[in-house]
Amino acid sequence: MLVATVMTVGIMSVAFTIDQQQKPWPVPDKDAKTANPVKSSKETIAAGKALYSLHCASCHGKAGLGDGNKAAQLKTQPQDMSKSDVQSQADGALFYKISEGRDDMPSFKKKIPDAEDIWSLVNYVRTLKK
Amino acid sequence: MKNQKTYSLPVSPFAWLCAIMLLCCSFGKLHAQAVKTTAPVKKDTSKIKDTTAAAPGVKKTSYVKNTFEGNYLIDEQTVMVPIKGTFEFDIQHRFGTVEHGTTDLFGIFASATMRLGFSYVPVNNLQIGFGGTNEKMQVDGNVKYALLKQTKSGSMPVSITYYGDVAADTRKKDNTTLFVSTSDRFSYFNQILIARKFSDALSIQAGPNLSHFNNLQGYLDASGNVMPILKNDNFGISFSGRFKISDESALIANYDQPLTQNPANNPHPNLSFGIEMKTSGHDFEIFVGNYSSLIPQNNFVYNQNDFKKGQFLIGFNISRLWNF
Repeated sequence: MLVATVMTVGIMSVAFTIDQQQKPWPVPDKDAKTANPVKSSKETIAAGKALYSLHCASCHGKAGLGDGNKAAQLKTQPQDMSKSDVQSQADGALFYKISEGRDDMPSFKKKIPDAEDIWSLVNYVRTLKK
Repeated sequence: MKNQKTYSLPVSPFAWLCAIMLLCCSFGKLHAQAVKTTAPVKKDTSKIKDTTAAAPGVKKTSYVKNTFEGNYLIDEQTVMVPIKGTFEFDIQHRFGTVEHGTTDLFGIFASATMRLGFSYVPVNNLQIGFGGTNEKMQVDGNVKYALLKQTKSGSMPVSITYYGDVAADTRKKDNTTLFVSTSDRFSYFNQILIARKFSDALSIQAGPNLSHFNNLQGYLDASGNVMPILKNDNFGISFSGRFKISDESALIANYDQPLTQNPANNPHPNLSFGIEMKTSGHDFEIFVGNYSSLIPQNNFVYNQNDFKKGQFLIGFNISRLWNF
């Protein structure tokens, strides 16, 4: 009886939580279908890497695994960019999410106003795939 | 014999507990399924700004980015003007000189100068700012304008920026101050900054400048004429460099050379070097140098710290940036 009570309390304490990674983030069709105008090259990936290190690594981690030193303070678990959840999204969808932001994810369209830079960042994110 | 009605639970307590556990598990799973099966919301895209398409038929000039990491390079301004809408808060601190060793922990526990400054970029390429320092309780207003920017194509090989400030000594008039009229409190600084980004790692900058003080201390000669010790106008030049050692860090160095020969008390040049670390919203610099003032004209005209005598001091600059 005691064991069953303890198990009940334990299960009830987690039963109503939602896995934040499963919360969908809809992207407008127009943005999702926008092609990346910046060709992936050594230069654009290097430019994207510099921006990633400056703006993204503190939450998403150096290798994009969602293990940045700020990640533990956030309500939302930063995405693991090496996984198919992120890599299966179109370049336009990634561009939209970086630009617009949501909840703990800041909007970067003012901090990185040049669209070419955000596309370069998308090119770098592609290199994080495992 | 009386007929006694009794009331009891149809199932045991253990069974009830099991039922509650199963119910909680089911509720969590159903809720997740509800989230998964919700159709994606189609957002009205008509108002979303298209940031990807350039106007047809217009060739966009591509400028070199990040010649420097921020507005400051130790004691100097850089050619960089942040993007439109950037609001910046600066904390600048210079400790005492290191020559007294552990007596005052290499100047860290000696008297220090500090400045708090604010700046904003209301339109592209133009920054306006103001600040206050404890040195002679000066307040300053400043403006910075990016005149030309280095292009990726090489058609413009350098970036050129104008920086100017006006500072006012706000102390009360007493027998230690030199104020006769209000204008005596003011000094000015004008500088042209010329920089080139040679590679992703290396940027170099030169900055000829002119400092002007409305009022300076003089002396009476044998005939009773007022003679200058320092000239009201002093020319100088600065050389600055940044070498990146990682995406977020760089080695930085400065050399400032006064050019005007004064009758006496000629200011000493400045040699400074340190490390810069940048994050998404902050810029940190920590360094050693000879300049103790946070108003550039004070440094170029009044600096008496001599690097040949080891009169260095530790300092730092912290900038916090917001984008509105």
